[in-house]
Amino acid sequence: MSSTTIDEFRQQILQRQPLRIRGGGSKDFYGSVPSSMQESNLLDTRMHSGIVSYDPSELVVTVKAGTTLQALELVLATRRQFLPFEPPRFGDDLSAATIGGAVAAGLSGPRRATVGALRDFVLGLRLMDGVGRELKFGGEVMKNVAGYDVSRLMAGSMGCLGLILDVSLKVLPMPMHEATIGLALDQQPALELMNQWGGEPLPISATCWADGLLMIRLSGAEPAVRTAQQRLGGDLVEADQAAQFWASLRDGQHAFFAQTSPHATLWRLSVPSVTPPLEVGGSSLIEWGGAQRWFHSEASAEEVQTLAHRCGATATAFRYAPDRTQVFSPFAPGVLKLHQSLKHAFDPHGIFGRGRLYPEI
Amino acid sequence: MMSIQTPAEGADTFPLPSRESDRGRGGENQTNSPVGADDTLLCVTTDIDTALAHSAEQDQNFASIHHATLFSRLKKILPQGALLQVKEDLAPYECDGLSAYRRIPLAVALPEDEAQVVAVMKACYEAGVPVVARGAGTGLSGGAMPHEQGLVLSLAKLKRIVRIDKYSRTAVVQPGVRNLAISEAAAPFGLYYAPDPSSQIACSIGGNVAENSGGVHCLKYGLTVHNVLRVRVVLADGDVVTLGSEALDSAGLDLLALFIGSEGLLGIATEVTVKLTPKPQFAQCILASFDDVRRAGDAVAAVIAAGIIPAGLEMMDQPATRAVEPFVKAGYDINAAAILLCESDGTKEEVGDEIARMKAVLEGCGATEIRVSQSEAERILFWAGRKAAFPAAGRVSPDYYCMDGTIPKRRLADMLIAITELEKKYGLRCMNVFHAGDGNLHPLILYDANVPGELERTEAFGAEILKLSVDFGGTITGEHGVGFEKINAMCEQFASDELRIFHGIKAAWDARGLLNPGKAVPSLHRCAEFGRMHVHGGQTAFPEIERL
Amino acid sequence: MEYSGAVAFIRKSDPLMETHLADFIRDTSTGKEAEAILRTCVHCGFCTATCPTYQLLGDELDGPRGRIYLIKQVLEGETPTQKTQLHLDRCLTCRSCETTCPSGVKYARLLDIGREIVDAKVPRVGVDAALRAGMRNVLPRAGVFGTAMKLGQMVRPLLPRAIKAKVPPLTSAGPLPDTATHSRKMIALAGCVQPSMYPNINGAAARVLDRLGISMLHAGSAGCCGAVRFHLGDPEAARDDARRNIDAWWPLLEAGAEALVMTASACGVQVRDYGHLLQDDPDYQHKAARVARLTRDISEILTAESARLQAILTDLPPPDAASKQMAFHSPCTLQHGLQLRGVAEKLLTAAGFALTPIADSHLCCGSAGTYSVLQAEISQRLRDNKLAALLGPVTSSRRPRTIASANVGCISHLAGGTEVEVRHWVELIDRRLTGQV
Ligand SMILES: Cc1cc2nc3c(=O)[nH]c(=O)nc-3n(C[C@H](O)[C@H](O)[C@H](O)COP(=O)(O)OP(=O)(O)OC[C@H]3O[C@@H](n4cnc5c(N)ncnc54)[C@H](O)[C@@H]3O)c2cc1C
Ligand code: SF4
Ligand code: SF4
Repeated sequence: MSSTTIDEFRQQILQRQPLRIRGGGSKDFYGSVPSSMQESNLLDTRMHSGIVSYDPSELVVTVKAGTTLQALELVLATRRQFLPFEPPRFGDDLSAATIGGAVAAGLSGPRRATVGALRDFVLGLRLMDGVGRELKFGGEVMKNVAGYDVSRLMAGSMGCLGLILDVSLKVLPMPMHEATIGLALDQQPALELMNQWGGEPLPISATCWADGLLMIRLSGAEPAVRTAQQRLGGDLVEADQAAQFWASLRDGQHAFFAQTSPHATLWRLSVPSVTPPLEVGGSSLIEWGGAQRWFHSEASAEEVQTLAHRCGATATAFRYAPDRTQVFSPFAPGVLKLHQSLKHAFDPHGIFGRGRLYPEI
Repeated sequence: MMSIQTPAEGADTFPLPSRESDRGRGGENQTNSPVGADDTLLCVTTDIDTALAHSAEQDQNFASIHHATLFSRLKKILPQGALLQVKEDLAPYECDGLSAYRRIPLAVALPEDEAQVVAVMKACYEAGVPVVARGAGTGLSGGAMPHEQGLVLSLAKLKRIVRIDKYSRTAVVQPGVRNLAISEAAAPFGLYYAPDPSSQIACSIGGNVAENSGGVHCLKYGLTVHNVLRVRVVLADGDVVTLGSEALDSAGLDLLALFIGSEGLLGIATEVTVKLTPKPQFAQCILASFDDVRRAGDAVAAVIAAGIIPAGLEMMDQPATRAVEPFVKAGYDINAAAILLCESDGTKEEVGDEIARMKAVLEGCGATEIRVSQSEAERILFWAGRKAAFPAAGRVSPDYYCMDGTIPKRRLADMLIAITELEKKYGLRCMNVFHAGDGNLHPLILYDANVPGELERTEAFGAEILKLSVDFGGTITGEHGVGFEKINAMCEQFASDELRIFHGIKAAWDARGLLNPGKAVPSLHRCAEFGRMHVHGGQTAFPEIERL
Repeated sequence: MEYSGAVAFIRKSDPLMETHLADFIRDTSTGKEAEAILRTCVHCGFCTATCPTYQLLGDELDGPRGRIYLIKQVLEGETPTQKTQLHLDRCLTCRSCETTCPSGVKYARLLDIGREIVDAKVPRVGVDAALRAGMRNVLPRAGVFGTAMKLGQMVRPLLPRAIKAKVPPLTSAGPLPDTATHSRKMIALAGCVQPSMYPNINGAAARVLDRLGISMLHAGSAGCCGAVRFHLGDPEAARDDARRNIDAWWPLLEAGAEALVMTASACGVQVRDYGHLLQDDPDYQHKAARVARLTRDISEILTAESARLQAILTDLPPPDAASKQMAFHSPCTLQHGLQLRGVAEKLLTAAGFALTPIADSHLCCGSAGTYSVLQAEISQRLRDNKLAALLGPVTSSRRPRTIASANVGCISHLAGGTEVEVRHWVELIDRRLTGQV
């Protein structure tokens, strides 16, 4: 059955018409949208779903791209394992997001700063390129340096290089114990503490500051969590409430992310964690030990990009942008040339996700 | 008979594109794209396609290039004594840590800073001369082995630690800085650089980036790719680009991930920003003995299955422990068939807890003796033996050949048993040192090159191990890279369509194929020949290489 | 083979150290020894990491692995030029590489072989030749060097800076104990350079041993251990030195002296090698072996007597906070040659001194016998680096008051680059025992 699905995919690709690859559509709001995108045909991956193989003692799961995150995480949970990068689900229907979409978007959740990004857990994948060839890169083992690391290149490629068919991911055992504490702090001291604690061997697995409150999640062996909790102080947050909080943060459901005005864009800045509080007029939400900053702003894209550039950061017009022709930070000419030639290597006819990452590719 | 030469026209097959048109700017270079109107944005260039076709189909020839002007240019760029040209000086550069493959380069350049690297790259680009980067020359796949028509670009003099920032937990270093030197410099801040290849005392961070090196602690702390934030890269034509950033994410495709592990084929790393990790408060290591290799292999899977991610999980068999013990005196049980080193780190409570759980699992798997390090000095000693294992092979055998396949952990014991069979088949001894926790095998085949035929048998033995690795669902190289050594085995692991993509990637970065040619990715021609050779059987791996 | 265009030629088959020695050496005992050493090297490059010259110059040719390669070429019959000679000359013979090598490569031995052949094939010319000849003749003769040195010391205030740096201020040996007191006796090496430059070192050793119930004897006609001439490429003269010393010591050993005390670790390495040096001399081989066996660095002797030493120390008041701050530089001959790491350090700590941690403590200070004269530039860079590592920033409150070391060469070399006092560590133990600190 699956092979016919794949044949269908191939037939669609061989028509050489612009294609927009889509899973659950939970990230339709994300990425650039060039004027030509409406003309693209949809390639729906959801027919291609299911777990290909899963061996808990290998810490590896291989899954078809159209499988929903929810389904995958449920299976992993039965063996007390999980996707450590906490992929966000987004969307109105939190069960819609697929693993293929998660990999293509390359977004990671609250654990990013301490355990790594989605791309860090991609071990291998099978994809179909722009001329319908099925290709396999990487594998199901932790270490593999044969050939260029195409698997990681696909993470965050926004469907502009090829169609991800299956992906092998490293998984980890769920932490034995978890606790969340809250500390009332202003932005500046909160940033200082996040950076200071980041340099200490503490079992911190997530941080979030907003509205004068610093939330810290500790994960690990129970004695380690307990010691850290005593060391950091603050108030213990009730477990259910804490879980809900981190999930809402991950999935963009937290109240902070709601649209504030018809002209304001929700910006996400990836900054060096030690960057001082940003002068953005309104309020910010900070994650990843200071390395991810969110804010709403009516300022022009150029203004925000200039600000980001000044502090060595990249800015994404994450949501609600009035103009979506280019939502990501522009880059140096040398890097743009590399993007164009790589695109050409995978998709010589330029059919995949045109303009979704950059207008030029 | 196979030849690694393209037709004799040599340089003529690589017309020098003007700098503007290189890597595809400029309208008239575009092919007709079948899609809509705005495809002028899609820069599709003929020179990439040409280069692609060449590098994919055939290995290249650089023979007919005139070097006189290049040399006089290089002399002006480099300081006194930093350009080596005569054989007496060149021979010590003829190989890396894998000394079985050697070539005398055209010349060796020893630049002192990035500006000189850029100037050297430009000069070579314009002359059409290949460049092979070299870090510390500890590579084990012939990655830094010279090209006979090319320049060796040593980065060893770029060894400044530019900055260590305690607060942001990053270090900015030049590529020639030794892996261990970073951790030493970060130590006063309670930080260290996590990936710790056994060669960490000597290998350079530039080499680590090029090979995506792992270490004995990478099960928990990741490989180079997980610990590098940003790299400055000099491209083949001398352009400088920055990949990644000091923030966690950067815009666009993850070119940093693509560059890491690219074995010197995509560019020259001239500055690397690494992430530093807080030193765990406490660490302890278990030394467990087994009287049977299968039980030891099964114990590895059992530890992971118990939900434990040890900071390190290594395995050594008896021949390996017997080789290192006399030198390191690590206290290994040399009567055990195999030993496991299992490390736990974290807070004191955490470690106590985890060590107890691991001990229980290991006992359940039939460990005959279990020792837990009682001091930091003892823990370091336990590891010292493991880290000295390869060179220590030099004490028990004149020569050794180190393999690097990775397999699923559940097949560890099968592999060990298969290797025992192969030892009999080839009449050669093999000592096994595994990064067991991530299934990365380092069988060391012991041989004596003075005995006629032993090297050939060794190569055949090695090829069988690699093939088994692929058959078991693994890969031919976990961390040492393909280099020159495993280039034929690449034909086992990848189909020609995949290789074509690799060549496309290469062409995107280095359209003229000047960086480390003939390494890491085989030409389709080579694979075709290799396949034919396979069918005929019995031939040695590199028939075109003269044997002494 | 079908080749078109230039031949793509990769030599392959033999691992590096499968050597094809040339006829002139293949069947000699030296040739066999060299081949055996070459075959143990697996080309891993670990040694480059701890080699002072590689760390400074970053050229494979200036590291142990490259030098091994250069020597291999020569042994295989390639004609060396001054290039090879230069890279071998730059080697400090510090043997840090040997400590690091997991494969047990006897580098220093191979280097001796290589240097001998290269020096025979590449004649020394000009200043280099003159300097070498001069040092071979003057340094090993205690009398001649002593006179030159005394003169220098008297005119020290008049000397230009560069030379002044090498001439230490005049010190005396201090009060010497009566050698007839104790039944336990050990023999001191009269040496050549040390007694004239630093007479107090042996004086201090004699006093410390005296407190431990051991008398230190001198054998009148003994002299230089032979290291100078050996390392300047005159092994025959070095053998003569060894024979002369053995003759001088033998009666004392026969009369019951239990050991030879070395207060300069470089001499210790050389004397400990007498057995090897004279292995082909039927008249001396046995005596030489016995002398080598009885040779002890002063740190080994004090460690063996540490219980007694400790008993004396516990009765003394602790040193004051300022004068106890100290940095210890372990000479290469001590830590790599004699493989005595942490031994003197432990004695100093036990005596109440506070040792600062030293980065890259395995690296040579650049003295290396005559190296400081022959490779002045590298030597000075190494010295500056070493002093920076030993002393830390000038502003530091924990900046050591004293640098202690264990070899006369290092002591005078380091002293030439700093105002901070540089001493043999046994002088500091002496100071403690005599209540000076
Ligand atoms: C005893 C021993 C143990 C080892 N153990 C391990 C281990 O545990 N894990 C592991 O992963 N590896 C191990 N290795 C292999 C080797 O040390 C690593 O591959 C190391 O990263 C190579 O670094 P290098 O500086 O020596 O690079 P080199 O050998 O000099 O070069 C390696 C490759 O990198 C390229 N290169 C070097 N510098 C640059 C640069 N600045 N820019 C671009 N390309 C560059 C070269 O062209 C070449 O292709 C071991 C080697 C030895 C000898
Ligand atoms: S003896 Fe010292 S200087 Fe000479 S090669 Fe060895 S480490 Fe380097
Ligand atoms: S460490 Fe030893 S085996 Fe390795 S290259 Fe140096 S001398 Fe050879």
